[in-house]
Amino acid sequence: MWHYEKKLQYPAKVGKADLKMAKYLITQYGGPDGELGAALRYLNQRYTMPTGQSKGVLNDIGTEELAHLEIIATLVYQLTKDACVDELKAVDLGGHYADHDRALFYVDATGNPWTAAYIQAKGDPVADLHEDMAAEEKARATYQWLIDLTDDPDLKDTLNFLRVREIVHFQRFGETLDLIQEFQNSKHVF
Amino acid sequence: MEAATQMCMRLAQAYVPFQIFTNRWDPMKALMMGTVFPELYRPYHSKKC
Repeated sequence: MWHYEKKLQYPAKVGKADLKMAKYLITQYGGPDGELGAALRYLNQRYTMPTGQSKGVLNDIGTEELAHLEIIATLVYQLTKDACVDELKAVDLGGHYADHDRALFYVDATGNPWTAAYIQAKGDPVADLHEDMAAEEKARATYQWLIDLTDDPDLKDTLNFLRVREIVHFQRFGETLDLIQEFQNSKHVF
Repeated sequence: MEAATQMCMRLAQAYVPFQIFTNRWDPMKALMMGTVFPELYRPYHSKKC
């Protein structure tokens, strides 16, 4: 089970409404390397991990990704909430308005809906951890391209925080991979 | 790879070095930086044209 704290892990401020940036940023909500996929990937893979340490890492990082998901949601919502329909149309968000009004939805930067095809659970802990490490690097790169796409210092600050978390997660998955490989090379696995 | 062989690493296997605790930032600084560990902090320098 989870305990919810009614606060964000890190402040999510934006300087001003920016519909174009919202359209790009939504990819970290429902895109191929976004926080929804990360959370669901890790929280699902943990069951077939062979050690308590590896289950724990996936549980902890998967949980933190849910906290990042709500930071992204908060940012996108602030960037879009006061937009009028003509402004949405002007940045090609008329399609989004038709389907969702100003509600958030799990899509990538070009509007493609989230799909479970973005994630995998192989049942092989080494294969799964390689996917997880790759996922952290792809998310880190995505944050870098998003930082390049905005001039808003508040938004950049939050994106920088989220980017650093990807690096920390990569390190933890890497250490977990090492422990799993050691575990499998020991006599416990036949 | 020469160095890796000397350290008894196996071929066809990926390795990330284990982090060894050295020092840490205070909690407020750690929150602002995104990590409590200075050695894991790698800031990004935007490559805008």
